[in-house]
Amino acid sequence: MKTYIYLIIFLLTTPLFSQPSGKEILNLIDKNLTARTRIMTAKMIINGARGSRTIEFKTWAEGEDRAFTEYTNPAREKGTKMLKVEDKLWIFSPSTDRIIQITGQMLRQSVMGSDLSYEDMMEDPDLTSHYSASVVASDTVQDRKCWVLQLNALAEGEAYEVRKIWVDQERYVPLREELYGKSGKLLKRTQLSEVTRIQGRWFPMKIVYKDMLKAGDGTQFIIVTIKLDEIIPENTFSKASLK
Amino acid sequence: MLAFKLALKNLIGAGLRTWLNVFVLSLALVMIVFQSGIIHGWDLQAKIDMTEWEVGGGEYWHNLYDPYDPLSLNDGHGSLPSELKKLYNDGQAVPVLVTQASVYPEGRMRNILLKGIDPSQNIVKLPASLMKGDSLVINALIGNRMANATRLNKNDMVTVRWRDANGTFDATEIRIAGIFHTNVASIDNNQIWIPLDKLQKMTGLDGNATYIILKQGITSAPTVPGWIYKGHDILFSELDTIIKSKSIGGLVLYIILLSLALLAVFDTQVLSIFRREKEIGTYIALGMTRWQVVRLFTIEGAMHSILSVVAGAIWGMPLLYLVAKYGFAMPKATEGYGLTIAEKIFPVYSLGTIITMTIIILVTTTIVSYIPSRKIAGMKPTEALRGKVQ
Amino acid sequence: MIKFLIKGLLRDKHRSRLPLIVVAIGVMLTVLMTTWITGVLGDSINLNAKLATGHVKVITRAYRESMDQIPIDLSLTGTQALISELKKDYPTASWVERIQFGGLLDVPDENGETKSQGPFAGFGIDLFDPDSGEAERLNLSNILVKGKLPSVAGEILVSHSFAEKLGINMNDKVTFIGSTMYGGMTIVNFTVAGTIRYGIAALDRGSVIMDISDARKALDMEDACNEILGFTAVDYYDDTKATELMTSFNNENSSGNDQFAPVMIRLRDQNDLGGLIDMMSGVVGIVSFIFILVLSVVLWNAGLVGGLRRYGEVGLRLAMGEEKGHIYGSMIAESVAVGLTGSVIGVAIGLLLSYLMQQKGLDFSSAMQNATMLLPGIFRTRITPEAWYIGFIPGIIATVLGTMLSGIGIYKRQTARLFKELQLQ
Repeated sequence: MKTYIYLIIFLLTTPLFSQPSGKEILNLIDKNLTARTRIMTAKMIINGARGSRTIEFKTWAEGEDRAFTEYTNPAREKGTKMLKVEDKLWIFSPSTDRIIQITGQMLRQSVMGSDLSYEDMMEDPDLTSHYSASVVASDTVQDRKCWVLQLNALAEGEAYEVRKIWVDQERYVPLREELYGKSGKLLKRTQLSEVTRIQGRWFPMKIVYKDMLKAGDGTQFIIVTIKLDEIIPENTFSKASLK
Repeated sequence: MLAFKLALKNLIGAGLRTWLNVFVLSLALVMIVFQSGIIHGWDLQAKIDMTEWEVGGGEYWHNLYDPYDPLSLNDGHGSLPSELKKLYNDGQAVPVLVTQASVYPEGRMRNILLKGIDPSQNIVKLPASLMKGDSLVINALIGNRMANATRLNKNDMVTVRWRDANGTFDATEIRIAGIFHTNVASIDNNQIWIPLDKLQKMTGLDGNATYIILKQGITSAPTVPGWIYKGHDILFSELDTIIKSKSIGGLVLYIILLSLALLAVFDTQVLSIFRREKEIGTYIALGMTRWQVVRLFTIEGAMHSILSVVAGAIWGMPLLYLVAKYGFAMPKATEGYGLTIAEKIFPVYSLGTIITMTIIILVTTTIVSYIPSRKIAGMKPTEALRGKVQ
Repeated sequence: MIKFLIKGLLRDKHRSRLPLIVVAIGVMLTVLMTTWITGVLGDSINLNAKLATGHVKVITRAYRESMDQIPIDLSLTGTQALISELKKDYPTASWVERIQFGGLLDVPDENGETKSQGPFAGFGIDLFDPDSGEAERLNLSNILVKGKLPSVAGEILVSHSFAEKLGINMNDKVTFIGSTMYGGMTIVNFTVAGTIRYGIAALDRGSVIMDISDARKALDMEDACNEILGFTAVDYYDDTKATELMTSFNNENSSGNDQFAPVMIRLRDQNDLGGLIDMMSGVVGIVSFIFILVLSVVLWNAGLVGGLRRYGEVGLRLAMGEEKGHIYGSMIAESVAVGLTGSVIGVAIGLLLSYLMQQKGLDFSSAMQNATMLLPGIFRTRITPEAWYIGFIPGIIATVLGTMLSGIGIYKRQTARLFKELQLQ
């Protein structure tokens, strides 16, 4: 999910025009997303049939293609590690001492029972090169004025054909994202809040994911600490580090 | 011939006792024919149902398609090869495209198979034409089992989510245009049928199919590279095993029933010989050899079976005919496992069974008639004549 | 008088032996038939019960709503207490915990990297406790194709064609990936002890059986399971008993609206089995009726035959001045004795044979190409309460009726002709 987080982790300089073009907003987003590395501790609150569960983990990420996550809590998941390199995903579980590649059907399963699938996690966040963007409206979300940005996939093969992003007009933080199918059906909604100043950037610290087709309360993602542009040793992103 | 006439006369002369035996034997005969008729009828009907609803005259599967492995659906499809395309265009075959999808009745997700078939097809009985009409809405068909499981009714709208060939998600509302009732659970459980062209468009798999159903009666199956022909022998093999099991279960019942009937004949024979010693003595005195007398009595006993066949025909045939005409109600058993069982089974009586059973009854009756009759051979005619042997 | 008759029966073999044998054999066959048809027709119900439904099943209310999806997150918790309560309240039934789940099996290559993967349906059953009877219930040793049954923790059975597809050999280490009851990810190693064949394509293509303790560990289901199966008898579904059990249990657990509260359902409420059960009792009824009819006719005939056999004796007794009514009465009394004795013997032998066939089964598996779990090729009888008395009905009534009919002849005989008849003897 850290890769997904990239999407949200960005800063914007105050625009010179009252309404920047979609492309400009996206460029600003992408430009600001490219913090070279991110190290964060976070927790995920998952609402299931048996009440909610909290999973804690630490993530090291570099660029868009490489991420390493280690789960720290609860005890059952502790020590489980996940490595994403480009479009491949491996999981290591200490009890089995095995590295398993997640492919096919498994990619569609939910991660730890959340409203996110492995596929959602794997999604390429580089919106500029995959989507065309235009500002379609302005709106108010969480008492903040937002541009509503509509993104249409440039080529076949994106998981979501259409995205809509509500971007804070002042801070340039997205406060809401909606994912649509080809036919225009709303599939998923993400709400971002608790925007905080981190290393001089505005950062949403709480994200709620919701599968709109399913009944339920969705999954909360809360960033506890985050450090940007720290140096991460190269071997972190190798399969050897999983064991 | 004399022996036959005599035996028949003696037998009919014995009145009620004979008719009771004959009745019991004929009951055994009719029951056995009936029971095997039911099993045979089930077998036949299941195959007819499967043929009509599901497999037609056989199927071609894409070589990567495996109906029990949902993962195979990602790659287990291809565009129709020209041989099969020609059959499709000629109305001799219909392609089906299968893809994984999710439906969300009442907000609960359920993984299903989305199957696309030509709404104007008439290769299988699936009422595909109900899917025709209004091009804005996707008209879907589901079976009654699926309808029960999802609590969907006709004209309900339900959300379906799928991914196209490139992996892009999409979802839409589809309308349940019809609910069909079939005995064939394997085209019903956990699946939704929609028009083929719609599914091809939705998934971006124009001209693709997962499998192709051939029209009934097509027997020649050319080898098509990349596609595997599945004939009835393969498609029906699971059913064949079950039928075999049921037949064995019935066999034991036949044996018990027949034993009971033979017991009656045996008892009668023992008495006949006991009571008719004087008669036996007389026969021998009149110049018959002992074995001729043994034969006479054996024939007399065996005659029961001939009479029973006649009796069975008289009362059994109309009864069996009526059952065959109106059917025998069956429950929806073991459907969870995808077996095909009709709600009503129409027994199919085979001439083979009837002839076999007649012969078996004839032979066994003759044997049980012969066993007590052997005693005669050991009799001294003079004593027999006086009735004082025993 | 009765003593005298019985003495006569015992001493005069002709008078007693054959009729007795006929009655006994007839009754025996009827008993055998009843138990056989109940057993064979009950087979598919039985197998359903053993494989999936139990005679009754305890689940949570929420689980009941979407049972066909086997949602393990809606499982029962506190099952140890629940099961001991069930055992205490309903001691005649046996109770077992099962976990049905789904997941992915991952087979490593020599470097420990993924070689092949496939989805499966999993069953966690009590394999290690021999008292649970689960291995027998699922006929495991007979459907084993290769290897052996799991005997220690961490060993699993894999369906044969699934194993072939994934390239699994005996004693291979494989990894299970799935979700715990709480939605967490779980990855556990197992050793493949053996492969099995069910004969149900859907299961053969991907299923795994493991001990329930392993399933618990893997799925984070300590003191939990998704289904508790109750069996009211060894091999036979008794709808009345199951209904009683269900009503009593559900009455005690009906309060509140906790969606995880336990609720009991019967076999007939699952997999469309209700109709099959109704038909079965119908068919058993019809076939029993036909058999009783047949046996009645046979014994009636035997009675007639018996009466005729003693034509001479009756003549002599009449000639000696015995009352016709008295002779008739004594013959009927004799037939009652014969019918009763024959029935007792017949029922005893019939039940004994049925019992043997119930325990051992008739093995026809060689006649079938592939014996499977659903169609084991072994046919068993099933002794039901009816089997104890059903034979007596034709055994006594028909014998007496036959004697009564044949005895009417006594009244037709003319004393004047008796001596002539007797002379000839």
